[in-house]
Amino acid sequence: MSAAFAGLRSAAADVAADGTDPDQLATIVAFSGQPRVQPDVLRRRDRDGDRGRDRDGDCDRDRDGDRAGTIASRLTALAGPPTATTGAVAERLLATWRADAVRVALIGDPAYPRCLAEGWPELDAPVWLAWRGQPPGHAPGVAIVGARRATSYGSGVAAWLAEAVADAGIRVVSGGATGIDAAAHRATTGRPGGTTVVLGCGHRVAYPRPHARAGGLFDQILDDGGSLVSEALPHQPPKAHQIRARNRIVAGLAAAVVVVEGGERSGSLLTAGAAAERGRAVLAVPGDIRAPGSAAPHRLLAEGAAPCCSPAQLLEALGSSVPAAEHPGGEPGSGGGSLGGAARAATDAPAAGTVRATTTLPPAVHAALVGAWPRPVRLEDLARTAQVPVGGLLAALTRARVNGEVAEAADGIRLRRAPPDTG
Amino acid sequence: MSGAHGVLALVHAVALVGLTPHRVRIECSRATGLPGMRLVGLPDTAVREAEDRIRTAIQRSGLHWPQERIVINLAPADLPKVGTGFDLPLALGVLAATEQIPADSLVGLCACGEVGLDGSIRPVPGTLPTAVGARDLGTGRLLVAEAAAGEAALVEGLRVVGVRDLIDVVELLRGDRRPRATLPAPTEVPTSGLDLRDVRGQPVARRSVEIAAAGGHHLLLVGPPGCGKTMLARRLHALLPPLAMDQALEVAAIHSVAGERAPDAPLSLAPPLREPHHSISAAGLIGGGSGIARPGELALAHRGVLLLDELLETPRWILDALRQPLERGEITITRARSRVHYPSRVLFVAATNPCPCGHLGDPRRACTCRPDRIERYRARLSGPLLDRIDLHIEVQPVDHEQLVGAADGESTALVAARVLAAREGAAARWGAGILARDLDDQQLRAGCSPRAMTTLVRAIDGLALSARAFDRSLRVARTIADLDATEVIAPDHVEEALAYRLRVPVGT
Repeated sequence: MSAAFAGLRSAAADVAADGTDPDQLATIVAFSGQPRVQPDVLRRRDRDGDRGRDRDGDCDRDRDGDRAGTIASRLTALAGPPTATTGAVAERLLATWRADAVRVALIGDPAYPRCLAEGWPELDAPVWLAWRGQPPGHAPGVAIVGARRATSYGSGVAAWLAEAVADAGIRVVSGGATGIDAAAHRATTGRPGGTTVVLGCGHRVAYPRPHARAGGLFDQILDDGGSLVSEALPHQPPKAHQIRARNRIVAGLAAAVVVVEGGERSGSLLTAGAAAERGRAVLAVPGDIRAPGSAAPHRLLAEGAAPCCSPAQLLEALGSSVPAAEHPGGEPGSGGGSLGGAARAATDAPAAGTVRATTTLPPAVHAALVGAWPRPVRLEDLARTAQVPVGGLLAALTRARVNGEVAEAADGIRLRRAPPDTG
Repeated sequence: MSGAHGVLALVHAVALVGLTPHRVRIECSRATGLPGMRLVGLPDTAVREAEDRIRTAIQRSGLHWPQERIVINLAPADLPKVGTGFDLPLALGVLAATEQIPADSLVGLCACGEVGLDGSIRPVPGTLPTAVGARDLGTGRLLVAEAAAGEAALVEGLRVVGVRDLIDVVELLRGDRRPRATLPAPTEVPTSGLDLRDVRGQPVARRSVEIAAAGGHHLLLVGPPGCGKTMLARRLHALLPPLAMDQALEVAAIHSVAGERAPDAPLSLAPPLREPHHSISAAGLIGGGSGIARPGELALAHRGVLLLDELLETPRWILDALRQPLERGEITITRARSRVHYPSRVLFVAATNPCPCGHLGDPRRACTCRPDRIERYRARLSGPLLDRIDLHIEVQPVDHEQLVGAADGESTALVAARVLAAREGAAARWGAGILARDLDDQQLRAGCSPRAMTTLVRAIDGLALSARAFDRSLRVARTIADLDATEVIAPDHVEEALAYRLRVPVGT
C-alpha cells in the first residue's frame, strides 16, 4: 500500500485485533465497502478458486494450488489493492469503528473465534468479525434463541437455562433481540460464563432501539464483560435478510442451540438449521401445544431435536466436560452420569440459596408462584387465590420486585429464579 | 326641543368574557336627527339586531317607540358585547329615555334577557354566571326572564326578579305591582345507578379507582378491548362525593356559558362526567371558537371526571394541550380579542389499548403486532402527559365463569364512604378541598416516615424509575395512607404506590 493510504493504515492499525494485519484488514474493508459488493463474494471466490476460469481442469488440484497461505492473505489477494475512492471510504468506515472502540479480526486470524471459522469456506463464516467489549473467544458457547414476541413462560425458561449455563462457566450467545434473546442475555449478568450478542446490523446502528439506548441492555452487557459482535460495516441497517444471516453466526459461536419459543416462520429455525449443518447440538423447549409461539420448537422436536426440559438436559447435551461448580450440599445419588450431577449442582446451588433465604412474599402468594413456575400468574388470580388484601399484595410484590425475586410483565408475575425443587 | 335632551337613561348589564363578568353601562339618549336607533360600543351582530326586536316588541306591547333618533352607548366602549342578553337592558334604556318608565327605577338594577317580537322575555345562556357577576359587581337586583329566575336565584346575596314580558316589566318598574317571589331552583343529587359491585374480578383496578377518587389522582387504564376500562371509569365518577353548593354553582356556571344547561333545570350536585369521542379537536377539548372562547370539554368536566377513551387515537398534539391545564387546574385561552380563563380541576381518566391490535397480554387472543410497532405505539403514550398521570393500571380481561358468577366485590356505597373519609382526613390536615395531588413537595415529605423514604429511594433505584416517579409515588402513597386513616406514610404505602407505575411491555 502506498503512502497515500497513511490515514487508512493508521485507522486500520487502531481497529485491527491482536494478530490481525492492518494492511489486510484495510484492503478487505476497502473492497467490501464498495457499493453493490455482496458480503460473501470473497468467500465464494476463495471457495471456487479458478474453477470458473478453467472448467475442464481438476478442481481439487486447482483449489489446493490457490489456497496456499493464510485465508486472510488469500482474501487480500482476491480483493486487490484499494483505489483512491475505496480507500477513502474504508478510512471513514474504520474511523467509525475506531470511534466506537470496535475491534475487528479477519477469518483465520488468531483473534477470530475458531468455533466460527470451522469449515471455511464451505460453511458461510463471515470474512471478518467486529466486536465491542471483550473478544468473543474461541470456545463455543450455548445459543439460547427464540421469539421476540415471547410469553412470560418463554422468558422465564430462557432466563432459567441461561443462568445455569452461565453459572457453569459457559458463554450464552444470542441475537440481542427483544423477548427470548433479551431474557437469556439479561440472566447472565454477574455470572462467570458471560454473554455474547450477535447483532444483525452495524455497531453504529441503534437496533433494537430499547436495548441500544444509553444504559440499555447492550450497555449493561458491555459493563458486565460481555461482547457485541457483528459481521456488518458500522452503518449497515438491520435489513431482514441481514438479521436472518446473523443467525448462522449465533450457531457458529455455539456448541448447542436451544430454541425456546418461536412462530412457524421464526428466525430461530434458521439458527437451528445452521447449527445442524455444523454438526452442533439442537435442542428445543416444549411449549403449550396450542400457543402460536410453540410452532418452531415443536417442529424441531418432530424433526429430531433433543427436548430441553431443564438446564441439566441442556448441559448433558453439550457432551463436553462441564466444570463442576462448587457446592457444599452435594447431591449424591442423583440419577444420570457424573455430568448430569455436575449440571444439576450448577443449576440448583444458587437457586436454592436465594429463594429460600430471602422471600418476602406472603406464604400463599409464594406458593402460588412456585406452583406455576416458570409460567406467570396473573395478578388477579394471585389476589384471588392468596386471599390477601390487594393493597398489601401489591406492596409485597413491589418489595419482591426490588429484591429481584419476581419479574412482572403484561401477562403476569413469575419468579425470576427456579424454585429449589426443580432442576 | 328640550325634551330631546332631557333624560339620559342609564341601565346596567353584565358582559361575560368567559366566566369573568364586566359591568356594562348602557347610556341611552334621544338626539336630533332622522328617526332610528344608533348603537355604539362594540356590539356584535346579535346585539346590533336587538334594534329590530325591541322596536317591534315595544310597538306590539302597546308602548310608544319615539319618532326621534335614539343614541345608545355601551360603555366601556372597547369591550366586546356578545349575545341577545342585552335586548332587555336596551329596551329598558329606550323606555326610560322616552320617560315611559321612571329613570330612578333603574338605579341598582341589572337586566339580562332576550326580547321576542311579541314582547316576551326569554332566558339566555349564561344566566347563572351573569347573576354571579351581577352580585360580585355590587348590583342589588337582577331582572331576568321568569324561566331563568330560578337559576339566577341560586346565587345568594342578590334579589332576582323574574319577568314575563315588556308589559310586566313596565308595570313593575312603574310601581303598579309588587314583584313576584322567586324561589331558587331546587338542587338534586342524581345517582348514576352504576355500582362498583357490577365489576367482576379486577381487584387491582378496583383498588386504583378508589385511590384515584380519594386523592384526585389522574388514572390511566391500559387493557384489551372489552375488559371493562370504560365501566371502571364511569364507576370512578360515581365514587366522587357530591359537590358543595359553591362548587356546584361554579360547575353550573360553566355549563350555562356553554349553553349546555336548561335554565329551568335543577342544580345538580353530582360532579360532571365528560366522555368526548377520541376524534375531538383541540378547541373542543380545551375550549375555543371565534370571538370569546367557549369552554371545552376540559372546563365542562371541572370538579368532575374527564374520560378520554382510546387515548392514543387522539393526535399527540391535542393531548399535549392538556398538560398545562391538568397541572394548573385552570385554562387560559388567549385569542386576538379576548383572554379567557376557565377552571379545569378535573380528574383525568384515560383508557387505551396496550398495542395497536389491542390483545397484548391477553391470555385468550394472540397479539399480532410487531414488537417495534408496539414500542412506537407506547412511545406516543410516554412523555410529558404520562408524567402527569399518577396511577397506571394494566386491566386484564375477566374470565367468563367470573362474568356469570356472583358479584364478588364491594359496593359503591361502601367504597364511597372510605373515599369520603379519606378526603375529610386530608381536608382536616391541609385545608378544605385540598387533595393529595395538590400538595407541594415539602408537605408530602413531611408526612413520610424515614423508613418509608428509605424504601422509596431503594425501590426507585432498584426498578430504575425516574425522579418524576418518586414524586408521583409519594403522592399516591399519601392517599393510600389517608385511606388507611394513618397520619404518617409507612413503607407499605410507598410500596403499594410503586405498583401503580406502568410496567415494561412484554418482550423487553
